[in-house]
Amino acid sequence: MSKGGARSSLRRTTAICAVMVALLMLASMLFGAGSITPLDSWHALLGRGSEESIFIVHELRWPRTILAIVVGIALGAAGTIMQAATRNPLAEPGLLGVSAGSSFAVVLAIYYGADAVGVHFGIAILGALAGCFLVLLTTQMRGAGTDPVRLVLAGAAFSSILMAVTTLILLHDQRTADEIRFWVIGALGGRPSSYLQWAFPGLIAGLAMVGATAAALAALSLGEKVAMGLGHRPVFTRVLAMTGVAVLVGTATATAGPIAFAGLIVPYFARRLVGPDVRRALPVALLIGPLILLLADILSRLAVRPYELPIGVVTACIGAPVLIAVVRSHRLPRL
Amino acid sequence: MSATAPASANDAPRGYWCLRPAGLTLLVHRRGAWAGLLLTAMILAIATGSLSSGTIPLAETVAALAGIGDPVTLFMLHELRVPRLVAGLLSGAALGVGGCLLQTLARNRLATPGIIGIDDGATAFAVASIVAIPTSLAPPMLALMGAATAAALAFGLGGGGSRGYRFIVVGIAIGALFGAITNFMLARTDIDAANLAYPWTVGSLNARSATTVATLAACLAVCLPIAKMLGRDLQLLRFSDAIAIGLGTRLRRTRIAILIVTVFVTATAVAVAGPVGLVSLAAPEIARHLTGHRGVPVINSALAGAMLMIAADWVGRTAFAPVEIPVGVITAVVGGPYLLWILLREPRPGGG
Repeated sequence: MSKGGARSSLRRTTAICAVMVALLMLASMLFGAGSITPLDSWHALLGRGSEESIFIVHELRWPRTILAIVVGIALGAAGTIMQAATRNPLAEPGLLGVSAGSSFAVVLAIYYGADAVGVHFGIAILGALAGCFLVLLTTQMRGAGTDPVRLVLAGAAFSSILMAVTTLILLHDQRTADEIRFWVIGALGGRPSSYLQWAFPGLIAGLAMVGATAAALAALSLGEKVAMGLGHRPVFTRVLAMTGVAVLVGTATATAGPIAFAGLIVPYFARRLVGPDVRRALPVALLIGPLILLLADILSRLAVRPYELPIGVVTACIGAPVLIAVVRSHRLPRL
Repeated sequence: MSATAPASANDAPRGYWCLRPAGLTLLVHRRGAWAGLLLTAMILAIATGSLSSGTIPLAETVAALAGIGDPVTLFMLHELRVPRLVAGLLSGAALGVGGCLLQTLARNRLATPGIIGIDDGATAFAVASIVAIPTSLAPPMLALMGAATAAALAFGLGGGGSRGYRFIVVGIAIGALFGAITNFMLARTDIDAANLAYPWTVGSLNARSATTVATLAACLAVCLPIAKMLGRDLQLLRFSDAIAIGLGTRLRRTRIAILIVTVFVTATAVAVAGPVGLVSLAAPEIARHLTGHRGVPVINSALAGAMLMIAADWVGRTAFAPVEIPVGVITAVVGGPYLLWILLREPRPGGG
């Protein structure tokens, strides 16, 4: 493909994704688990209709839609950058234990009675940093770093330790247990709008960090020596990229709880659409992330009406087949 | 393990004993036998400690076991502690055997029922029977169905177990799926039912009932001899596919037989104790270490699993008394770092 052709295909893909995100946003406003019909919602959206429907659409569905977009962007970018930084197609904040570190930190904070939203965000980011540090450590190990599966298993082991300690806390403390039971699955509904205030700065800071590393990561995919020859600093790049990932994952986790597999699905589709270059995959991932999350959120509302599925269950149901597809492909692709 | 040629007691191979009770000739691996005896002794010691912990002194425990003593002590031992100990021993043994078999099948020490998702499948189905779908089927049956579903999915999608890493990652995906379903069911139900099921999902010897323990015992009685008989094929499985076929193994049939035995022992154990996955990781490791990495130590894995299980339960019951820590939490806190250590230390990439 010529360079001009590649660029126009990137542009076309971006345009299609943007239109789909807009459509899904509209769908997210119109469909829900409640009793009001899509037509009622449409009227409410235009400012007419019953008070109840206006309340539902403007006060419940609108913040939820925005949250889905914020979390989608954060997780999509985090997954894409993480796969590029570890050169591992299975790298995903959930699978590698970064989300687990982040959510464990929040569980600890709730247990010790910290209920200020800002504190949750800060602590979630710290927890994610600890998880990222472990991932970086593992990739530096001889033998382990080049083996995608071992990284995933290390993440699973780390998650299971944290899970056990979480259980320990929950058994001690009934109040925390009831608060956390819903949170640990991941959900977008019922978040107060004060969360957005904190989520936006985190999102922007994280995106700035990972955006700054995209070019260097693309060079790193050619090998460390080539990247150094091109004037990049591999260690600095990896640390900055993973710090950005930690900020993004911490923000997403504090906002919506750990949402499994989103970081795996998004880069998988992004690479399918525009190829493995992270500089091209990242912008597309920023659109596919919200797309997947909005879709999962709408499904979670409609699947078992009048109840709602937690969104984590939906993303796990989409993500597990994707994970299987990645592993079943002829040989494990190396990034 | 059996020698067909007539042999005198002296020409047993080095490191083996030659036994011939009633016309049979048996070769017993010496170090394996010693390891078995050592593990049995440790089990006895831990069991005694576990039975007599707390307010009951050792002498009274022994007397009460023989049926002498005051009613309170008798009740505590016969109704509470002994059944719990038996449940722990049996479920530990089953998990140990399951881990040992699956590790051999996938040629990877990390492939254990907990990681492949068999535990998660069993848990999801069993939790469904408790909180979501009222059925007349007993939880062990449902656990068996869940475990079979998960194992079949992982085996089928993972390329028939011939490529270890693929089997494992597909298993992780399936485990995550079932985990999400379990979480969903726990969140949907009311807090009381969730609390009822919660310790169960992390693994606890509290949740056992007499019938599930009996099912587990029956299953072990059938599966252990089968696993032992598969021993020769198991040893050949450690080589590459081509060599194993060349040496006369029917690979596909052996693999499926191993998988079925694994599913049965794991599912019935999960029905008793919940997903105490890390026992099945550590028990074969201990057994292999003690027997000197020779062959596939099925029986010793069972003994090591039983020992780990009752030891973890003992610690969980007494360490933070009066709050009881589920045995699954203890094994995860101890076993998780161990798993990390194996992963980071192993120099071979892929490990399978």
